[in-house]
Amino acid sequence: MADHALTLERVTKSFGDFRAVDEISLAVPKGSIYGFLGPNGAGKTTTLRMVMSILYPDSGTIEVLGHQNPEAVKDRLGYLPEEKGLYKKMKTAEIVSYFGRLKGLSNHEANRRARDLLTKFGLGDWIDKKCEALSKGMGQKVQILGTLIHEPELVILDEPFSGLDPVNVETVIELILHMKREGRTVIFSTHVMEQAEKLCDYILLINKGKKILDGPLSQVKLGGPRTVIIDYDGDGAVFRSLPRVSRINDAGKTAELTLQDGANPQELLRLLVDRLTIRRFDTREPSLHEIFVRAVGGKTDA
Amino acid sequence: MRRIWLVAQREYLENVRTKSFWIGIFLLPVILVLSIVVPVLMEKTRKPRHFAVLDRSGWVLDAVRPQLAQAAGRFVLEAPEADPNDPAAEERLNRMVRDEELFGYFIVGSDPVEGSAGSQYLSRNLTDTDLTDWFGELVSGEVRARRLERERIDPRLAEWIQSPIRFEARKVTVTGEAEEVSAQDRLRQWAPVGFVYLLFFVVFTAAQMLVTNTVEEKSNRIIEVLLSSVSPIELMGGKILGIAMTGFTTIVAWIASFLLITRYVPPMLGAPMTLDFSVITRDPVYLTSFVAYFILGYLLFAALLVGIGAVCNTLREAQNLMGPITILLIIPLFAMVPVGKDPNGMLAKVLSFIPPFTPFVMMNRAAGPPALWEYVATTALLLVSILVALWAAAKVFRIGVLLTGKPPKMSEILRWIRAPVGTVAVRRD
Repeated sequence: MADHALTLERVTKSFGDFRAVDEISLAVPKGSIYGFLGPNGAGKTTTLRMVMSILYPDSGTIEVLGHQNPEAVKDRLGYLPEEKGLYKKMKTAEIVSYFGRLKGLSNHEANRRARDLLTKFGLGDWIDKKCEALSKGMGQKVQILGTLIHEPELVILDEPFSGLDPVNVETVIELILHMKREGRTVIFSTHVMEQAEKLCDYILLINKGKKILDGPLSQVKLGGPRTVIIDYDGDGAVFRSLPRVSRINDAGKTAELTLQDGANPQELLRLLVDRLTIRRFDTREPSLHEIFVRAVGGKTDA
Repeated sequence: MRRIWLVAQREYLENVRTKSFWIGIFLLPVILVLSIVVPVLMEKTRKPRHFAVLDRSGWVLDAVRPQLAQAAGRFVLEAPEADPNDPAAEERLNRMVRDEELFGYFIVGSDPVEGSAGSQYLSRNLTDTDLTDWFGELVSGEVRARRLERERIDPRLAEWIQSPIRFEARKVTVTGEAEEVSAQDRLRQWAPVGFVYLLFFVVFTAAQMLVTNTVEEKSNRIIEVLLSSVSPIELMGGKILGIAMTGFTTIVAWIASFLLITRYVPPMLGAPMTLDFSVITRDPVYLTSFVAYFILGYLLFAALLVGIGAVCNTLREAQNLMGPITILLIIPLFAMVPVGKDPNGMLAKVLSFIPPFTPFVMMNRAAGPPALWEYVATTALLLVSILVALWAAAKVFRIGVLLTGKPPKMSEILRWIRAPVGTVAVRRD
């Protein structure tokens, strides 16, 4: 499995009667960006914590960077937990350097890299400031730099976008792409599908501890239903009379129609042209959001 | 080990940067210097006491006059012209006392050789007895001389009759020999008390730091980042070590300043150097046992405290749980006087065998000293309980640090301790 940074084999973890992670298996190819997607409480954090050997699985095996024992490769991993915090009284360069030293860097090397990283990512003016003076976005950035300082092969970010404004979200996306360019494998979890859609090469959909689906994003999308976006003027009630439409999401001026397998968008257009003023007719792949809602909805109904 | 050291280093630097650390370091030397300097300065700057004497005997004042001249810096005789038998003189002196022109005045009775009848001391301040003690002694000396003379008794004979029997105190040593008691022995008797207080101080401040730092890491959620790099055991070990270093820095600073101040400050003020500490440093067994008990005592309490810190999310919760620990710490302080008086008594022996009290009580008993088997048995018991406490703390720490929400019940904590590592069911938020 040399080409995989991480593989999980039927990993299960329970807390009392509650099964947080239920027989999850997955493989993360080296050098990819891998998204753990799922609603809150789906088991994303528990899975990541097991990879970091903060928790231990009840059963199943985890292989990180080719090692069955994750503790052996701790120094080659970077981890940003879901709940983020810094020592308030430490200076930013000190704390980034401290994280580096904990991962095995020498004092001198850790200090140098900490200053370089902070300068490179626009925090040069904050090197000698205490962490309590940072805004939330800057704090998050400092933390992510702390996970990068030892140049880990595998970076695990748990909800890296939570609580950030759009500008800071862009910064974090920039950081993740930067890691990928340097050849690192990045796993991140999120419940916001838009970011995953923009970034991920591979995704894992997880709900209530169970894997819903996983694979390369492009394949996952092919497997999903096709949709049509229509901008229109007129009475949207007509959509309900269309054949082979499984779901209608009508906002009054724009409607999103999910098609059943085998439906022909051309035929739909012909049917609509006479009854509505069509300003846009756009067929496209399903969004992750739709795939997710459909997959989760399907499972819960079953 | 390297990671433990890194955690310890950070912990140490963080604590050393706080104001309270430096206040702690400087508090003792400042108090010590003040307690030496202030009495000396007060003595030097004290104004002389002015007093008057109405001598109704007619000879006492003249007899003591040469000694009065000697004490001129401290006590000054006023109003020599007052007529001792004039009632108006008393009224005048009363007014002078009221107006604070005089500290007080004496009336010497008409026949002091016969007895104290008619002798009085009048002042507004009867608590300060310096003046009466001094003057009373002068007058008594003169009166006694006259009495001996009247009865034709040889003064040397009188002195011999009055001389009491003094028992020379000698100490029986460990080897069964008797030796003289010196000032150093008294130091030896009291040094353990100082050590007990020092240990109490270190454990108490370490308690604050261990608990507040762990709770801070938990509430800041740094703990998870740390746990991705170090194991819980390394984190716990680093914390205990780092805070120990902080405590020992304070102690070393205190002992050094104590030695320097007691050595150099009194001579600067012209007072003699009175304490000799070489007895402690000359006796390696004595010193080593202190250091050993110090470390062991700290470790036992640190294990208990780090466990408490790990299960609490707020300082308020931690303070509630620290109550019992504080009581454990205070009992040996209360027992200090009875144990010090009877170092080999029942109370001392029983307390020595209760591990949380062992370091305090055994130090306290050092002047006894306890039998060798007691040293061995209590220390063994203490070591075992430290290992058990550290092991239990490690398990609680490992689970507790990731726990949010309300602190677990005692029964839940016991379940964690009993269960093998890795299998404990942790509650979710």
